[in-house]
Amino acid sequence: MVKYALFLGCLIPMRMPSVEIASRRVFERIGLESVDLKGYTCCPEPVFSRLIDETGQLVISARNLALAEELGLDIMTLCNGCYETLLETNETLKNKSDEMLRVNRILENYGKKYRGLIKVKHAIEVLYEDIGIEKIRECVTKPLKIRVAMHYGCHLYRDLSGDIMRKPRMMKEITSLTGVEIADYGLERLCCGYPSMQVDEEFSLTHRLLPKIKRMVEAGAEAVVLTCPACTIQFETGQVLLRKRGIQYEIPCINIMELLALSFGFSSRDIHLDLHRGPILRLIKKVEGD
Amino acid sequence: MRAKKIIEYMRQELGPDVLVVSAPRDRRVFINIRAEALRKAVEALKRKYPALRFMTISTVDCGLHFEFLHHFHVDGVVITLRSVKPKEENLLESIADIVPAANFIEREIAELFGIKVMNHPKMRSLILTEDWAEDKRPLRKPLRGILPPQARRVAESLISMGCVAPISRFIERRREAAGLPKTPPFAFTDEENMKELHGIIKEVSLSEKVGFDWEKKRLRYR
Repeated sequence: MVKYALFLGCLIPMRMPSVEIASRRVFERIGLESVDLKGYTCCPEPVFSRLIDETGQLVISARNLALAEELGLDIMTLCNGCYETLLETNETLKNKSDEMLRVNRILENYGKKYRGLIKVKHAIEVLYEDIGIEKIRECVTKPLKIRVAMHYGCHLYRDLSGDIMRKPRMMKEITSLTGVEIADYGLERLCCGYPSMQVDEEFSLTHRLLPKIKRMVEAGAEAVVLTCPACTIQFETGQVLLRKRGIQYEIPCINIMELLALSFGFSSRDIHLDLHRGPILRLIKKVEGD
Repeated sequence: MRAKKIIEYMRQELGPDVLVVSAPRDRRVFINIRAEALRKAVEALKRKYPALRFMTISTVDCGLHFEFLHHFHVDGVVITLRSVKPKEENLLESIADIVPAANFIEREIAELFGIKVMNHPKMRSLILTEDWAEDKRPLRKPLRGILPPQARRVAESLISMGCVAPISRFIERRREAAGLPKTPPFAFTDEENMKELHGIIKEVSLSEKVGFDWEKKRLRYR
């Protein structure tokens, strides 16, 4: 059985547990054993923490890696931000022995040590590479008849191989297994605006989010498929903020794990899909009927 | 050689109150001291070097703290005593009774920064008008750290809980309804893990850099 240490991060379990619930249902169905990482902390979040204190970010991140290493397991993340932080820390420590020494000097004061023995993978990679397309296809019992637009999220393009489309391609292929029709809208690579929201709300909403949503709707998308919780927040709350500016869009967001769970036959109630802040009910009706 | 001797003497007199020393040239000495030991340091210099000449005090408003640089000259060597005080304290101990020449610059500091100079022999207006507004000191900046407003809550949450998205009761209930534990196995669910995280944060000076108040569990500025 494929086995990974599951790094849940902050946003998914605390703000959108439907993604965690759906992921656990999906993992169980496809035969992926996920072991909870007890005592983990924020990855830490990739935008501010690195700017404030690079050593602090490395040590906190390495502590999370050390927890997985203690279990003898590679780490799997559901969140794009956590993926990038942990992946980059892992690479830095594996390739820079002086950084590894510096970080371990601090960790050792707390009885921890990271040796650089594990890999960091996004759940998309685990599904695609370890479980395989065929196994996922076998589990799809209720193909979904909706048209969706993909939003991969900037951090998913980070790849050690240099092939930035590797994981987005995987995500697209996995999404297509659920029966949905994927609407290409041409702005897939544009950032949703979440990081710039922290600095300039107007720019973030009207120069990042809005052009994407417009093109998605023009392409006939009925929902956005995402994997990043921060992007999901941006799409869901961003549409509310756009309404205050007189711009009305109501496109629901769904995480790829939730989409898989629905296509595996779980009901929206099973995975608590109503926890979304966006207009998810319309999508549920479409998928499940009245 | 002269610089080295001065450093040795100050280390001997002040012990752990000396934090960091440097002598980039033989005639230039920087001694970082604990703020509480300022008078002790000046007295020690005065005792050892009767010809000690007070030069001036530079004050720097660093946002979260004031940096005080007391400059002296002795036998061709310039000595700077550097001490730091949190802005909330807003205090500087007067040394005018030890070195009377500090009298005017201390009054200037009090006026331009709005800092209370303790035990000053004759504190009164020097440059500004007597009715100058207390809260509008020309060289004083607002209490502010390195974080922009948008990052403050994230940093507070990261430092105090090790998590950037605190959980609500509603989500806890919904998690339980779905058969999940009320909270994920985060460090904040376990005292030992939190001690470990807080130890790391203190050790890398993250909390110090962003101006986190451990007692109040929040940033010193909003």
